[in-house]
Amino acid sequence: MIVFVSGGARSGKSEVAERLTRECCRARGGALYYLATATASDAEMAVRIARHRRERGDAWRTWEAPLALGTALDNVEPGASVLLDCLTLWAARALFEARYDTAAGLTQLEALLVAARVRSLDLVVVSNDLNEDVLPQDVETWRYIAFLQHLHRALAGQADRVIEVVAGVAIDWTEGREAT
Amino acid sequence: MQLFIGGACAGKRDAVSKRYPTAHWHRLDAGAPLDGWRGSAVSSLPLVVTGWTAWLEAALDNEPNDDRLRERLAAALDKLVAVERKGGPTVVLILPEMGRGIVPMSPLKRRLRDLAGWLAQDATERAEAVWYVRHGLVKRLK
Repeated sequence: MIVFVSGGARSGKSEVAERLTRECCRARGGALYYLATATASDAEMAVRIARHRRERGDAWRTWEAPLALGTALDNVEPGASVLLDCLTLWAARALFEARYDTAAGLTQLEALLVAARVRSLDLVVVSNDLNEDVLPQDVETWRYIAFLQHLHRALAGQADRVIEVVAGVAIDWTEGREAT
Repeated sequence: MQLFIGGACAGKRDAVSKRYPTAHWHRLDAGAPLDGWRGSAVSSLPLVVTGWTAWLEAALDNEPNDDRLRERLAAALDKLVAVERKGGPTVVLILPEMGRGIVPMSPLKRRLRDLAGWLAQDATERAEAVWYVRHGLVKRLK
């Protein structure tokens, strides 16, 4: 099963996503993986990462998501439950570090989703909702929002469940796809 | 009147195109009259009105009074509703959601955000149905 969870900053989206991944894991009895996209680029980020890790507990096997996101699940055994947190940061690295264009970004995401299905994994993907602000004036931020939205729309179109988190409350959007 | 609202690149255009494949699209240009659709709309085809942000950005420079601007927009919505009720085209509005970020530093952007929010509320009040578009998915709010 593929689940897409998104929301604003500190909306509780990671907690909701972790709970869902754990529930998948309990139901399937497989391993629990945490695919991290954050790197400790400064002291504040290091503290932030440590806090997330502490809150998650030690049941998780953690590793860093590669820029070639499509290969991220290559070594995961079938039946495992994987949490990718978060797509927003991967998208920033993909666009500005790896210099992927939209097609390349979508190809990586597509490969990740195919790998999850082929290996019969539960994959929960967390991301930030960033597109409901006043439109950015600078070209680079615009490019990033457009890139991220392409990923979000592709993911929402393929996920088995789509969840918006507001103040820790999970709002189900899965029905929305039937209407489109 | 049908209202589609959502953030940047949320899939509003696709959602509307899918539901109204034959629609006539009218884009409000900066500085153009709000009832510019009168010249090109056809009663038998749905009328999609878009481009509200560009119109608002330009209008903010010329009208310092937010209440007056809001009233002008509300009057434009009333005209659209009236035309639809008189057997005119089904009116479909596409509006931007831009109120879920940090308060902008620039006064103009703060005004833009306020007016876009009021416009959405005033449109919702008059609309028969309101659709929220998020990451390509659509949820009916009203």
